[in-house]
Amino acid sequence: MKVLGKLRAAIAFLSLVYILIPLLVTIPASFTSASYPSFPPHGFSLQWYSKLLERPEFVEAFWNSVQFAFLAAFFSVLLGTLGAIAIAKYDIPGKSYLVSLLTSPLTVPQLVLGIALLVYFTPLLLAGTPTGLLIAHIVICVPYVVRFVLTGLSGFDYTLERAAAILGASPLTVFRRVTLPLIRPAILSGALFSFLTSFDNVTVSLFMISPGMRTLPLEIFSNMQDAYSPIVASVSSVVIIISVVLILLLEKIHGIGRLLGSSH
Amino acid sequence: MEPVRYDDRQEIVSLPLQPAAAKKRRNWKKHLYAALLLLPLLLFIIGFFVVPMLYILYLSFIETKGEAGAIYSIGNYVRFFTDPYYLHSLWLTIKVSLYTVIVSLLLGYPVALTMAKCSPRVRGLLTLLVASPLLISIVVRNFGWYLLLLPNGTVHQLLESLGITQSPPKLLFSETGVVIGLSNAYLPFMILSIATSLYNIDPSLEKAAAILGAGPFRSFVSITLPLSLPGIVSGIVLVFSMSMSAYVTPALMGGANVPMLPVVAYDQIINLLRWTYGSAVSYVLLGITLVIVTVFTRMMERGRYREVFR
Repeated sequence: MKVLGKLRAAIAFLSLVYILIPLLVTIPASFTSASYPSFPPHGFSLQWYSKLLERPEFVEAFWNSVQFAFLAAFFSVLLGTLGAIAIAKYDIPGKSYLVSLLTSPLTVPQLVLGIALLVYFTPLLLAGTPTGLLIAHIVICVPYVVRFVLTGLSGFDYTLERAAAILGASPLTVFRRVTLPLIRPAILSGALFSFLTSFDNVTVSLFMISPGMRTLPLEIFSNMQDAYSPIVASVSSVVIIISVVLILLLEKIHGIGRLLGSSH
Repeated sequence: MEPVRYDDRQEIVSLPLQPAAAKKRRNWKKHLYAALLLLPLLLFIIGFFVVPMLYILYLSFIETKGEAGAIYSIGNYVRFFTDPYYLHSLWLTIKVSLYTVIVSLLLGYPVALTMAKCSPRVRGLLTLLVASPLLISIVVRNFGWYLLLLPNGTVHQLLESLGITQSPPKLLFSETGVVIGLSNAYLPFMILSIATSLYNIDPSLEKAAAILGAGPFRSFVSITLPLSLPGIVSGIVLVFSMSMSAYVTPALMGGANVPMLPVVAYDQIINLLRWTYGSAVSYVLLGITLVIVTVFTRMMERGRYREVFR
């Protein structure tokens, strides 16, 4: 029966390769010296990185993405953390329904959400504006923050807060010195997760952009539809490197498996 | 997830001396705090999620909006279910999603099994490797497949040198390409949900089976596999519903050759500006997915292994 075990290990290994291979081939392909993208690459050159810097639309899209991701993470953490604290701490009727309502954007496909927001934003004059895009990104990020912080608070001992209050700390001091440090990992991972979710998003953003305002994944998306150029490989490699750094940070703070386990 | 309940009435320190009026005032203050903390989030979700979703539901029942005003009817839905083009697109979406589920299940189960059997340290590493691609943009992952699947690309040359195919099969811009892209994207969800149910299996059960003389295969078929069914079902549900509504991968890996429903809906909204019809297509997509998923889950929960779902 050792054969079965070996077969399992072999398929498991192949599956892992299958999951990771699109990321593994992209970085080498970005160093090609040919004028078309390929794996394995032809020769070695950095020309597609220098060409990247000469393309203002990519550079601008990159900064747009970073700004939107930063703002989306900031507002998601602000709204999500306060809401989650209220739910965990106070006796609110219909708590489980409330949590379902607040995390319900995760249950609706992003395509449908994008359509709904575009159609809804147009009469409100928010369609195609930076505000509209930011709101859409917060809608898809904030449920994660609510979940992470609720999980973080699930073992929270509220006598600590009361003890601090009895010893004379003001409510703000109690929050800053007692509550916040204890849920900091949850908040930090909520922030990083939101940043990545917003930074990576294509589907919802597709409905929110205007010609003058693009994000990096959308720039990649439209370049892939129009032309095959190794420049897409170099942009993609930049995205991979940034994402991997943030993912490792997230892993260090909270553990990716635990986060995704709690979110699905 | 069960939120922790904090029972405010047990104010240990001040309870015996507290007059009723002061207590009432404190309670009122507590309600105010709760409302102040919660309301921004609640209003945001209602205003920018619940209302827009209801708004397109309402729009989907408007057929034309002329000078005379809106005409309410189920015309958009009738049109969808009587037009062969849209029905074909729906069928294609279901078919591709099913293939994606099958591929993810076959490739995913062995990984989940390996994760359940290895040491905690290796398990942590495997979880990281499996889950991290989920946090890297889907366009980037699709581009990797472009490199591999392009005509005369890596996979074609590999297949040819192995003598499997003489004329290279069409991989990119075909259903095969979409299934590859989607299963690659959603495989981690399948693995993580099966792994979660495998972690919960009591190891003494397999030991008991071994003592009673069952070989590894027998113990897998009659213990591990049935007990991991809840994870398999939730993995299938996740992967299926996400494949049904995926837009980016079908658009990039299938293009015009694979007009799945999300691609059609996008076209209606963005290119043809048919918002009422596009809204109806969105709700058809949601409704069909929900029906299939519900029927499947009910069937599994009432099937031969109904006990494991409790």
